[in-house]
Amino acid sequence: MQRRHRRAHAAIWTLLAIALPVALTVIFLSYPKLSKDAPAIRLDEPSKTATGQS
Amino acid sequence: MSVSYQPVLWNRTKLIYDAVLIVAIVAYVLIFLKLGPMLSQAMAETNVPILRMRAFGSLALILLTVVLAIGPLARLDVRLMPLLYNRRHFGVMTAIVAATHAWYVLAWYFAFSPTPQLLALFTSNTSFGHVAGFPFELFGVLALTILAVLAATSHDFWLSFLSPPLWKAIHMSVYGAYAAVVLHVTLGALADGKNAALGVFLFISLGTLCALHLIAGRRERAADKAASAQDEKTHWIDIGDLTEIAENRAIIGAAPGGERIAVFRSKGKLSALSNLCSHQNGPVGEGKVVLGLVTCPWHGYQYRLEDGCSPPPFKERIRKYRVALSGTRVLVDPEPLPLGTRLEPLSIPEEQLAASAASSGG
Repeated sequence: MQRRHRRAHAAIWTLLAIALPVALTVIFLSYPKLSKDAPAIRLDEPSKTATGQS
Repeated sequence: MSVSYQPVLWNRTKLIYDAVLIVAIVAYVLIFLKLGPMLSQAMAETNVPILRMRAFGSLALILLTVVLAIGPLARLDVRLMPLLYNRRHFGVMTAIVAATHAWYVLAWYFAFSPTPQLLALFTSNTSFGHVAGFPFELFGVLALTILAVLAATSHDFWLSFLSPPLWKAIHMSVYGAYAAVVLHVTLGALADGKNAALGVFLFISLGTLCALHLIAGRRERAADKAASAQDEKTHWIDIGDLTEIAENRAIIGAAPGGERIAVFRSKGKLSALSNLCSHQNGPVGEGKVVLGLVTCPWHGYQYRLEDGCSPPPFKERIRKYRVALSGTRVLVDPEPLPLGTRLEPLSIPEEQLAASAASSGG
């Protein structure tokens, strides 16, 4: 029984070691990015505009 | 060991373990809430309720990482085995911290929701068709649900009621909870790209846990492959040499089916027992003989050498095997005896005792 448990354990972590980095890569690549010609002053960054750093 | 149901069996080690854990949790939250805003301008400009939910959320990720690292670390280095002793309390504490994070989230983001808070949680974000913006809350709910179920079934009552193999199979769902937490954090807290520290920790956590579990699994697989040699006529297996067994310790062999067998040497006698503790399937053979009783290194469950039974009033039992000597080679019948069968330990002949003593002395 313990051997079956060990095999299941190894299979799960092999799957996680492959699937999670792939999933993270896909998620990071899908984050919206600012276009190159976006204006320098951003209304969605309140901390910078509030302190006049924009 | 258990005679009858008791909510918690406390002892000094458990109290120290839990006290250290609670102090560490309180210290982390205080440092996050009090020191964080002093060191970081961004944290200083963040609302306190949001800081609170971030403190408990990040802490839950840290605790889950540590609790998942304990198992492989204990397999790779026996000095870390004491960490296993009260790992379940660690898991329960992780579930409580994660639930506190969820409570702060509901109390802050859904405090004035016209619909019930949980309904609002499940219906406020329906971007199922997009990766960015996917309802990450659902992964958090899934992880918290798994952790809550595992915490509720963590007591020995459930371990005994469900049997160790089923209980362990259910508790392996903690890996699913971890995967859900990773997705929850990546799609949620990291989405705005402003939380570099959390992102770095997430990558360290994932890399470390995958590496530790795969390395420990590789070692176990190698041990499984190195099944003990079997005699063609008798089918008994050769576990090793008498000189390899230290006094009050054991060597471990593997039966053809993969079940591991531990042969203990104590007071000039040999006894073969299953390597699986009846409590949590811990490695009995990595323990030692204490006051004439084989003692599991995980939680201290004890068994008699002659019949594999715990001493009265305890009722735990593990299988016993027949053992023989061929010269100095230790042979074991891979067919286990019925549970509770009494079989006197095998006396080591004088000449082999002297030979093995001389060999270990040299």
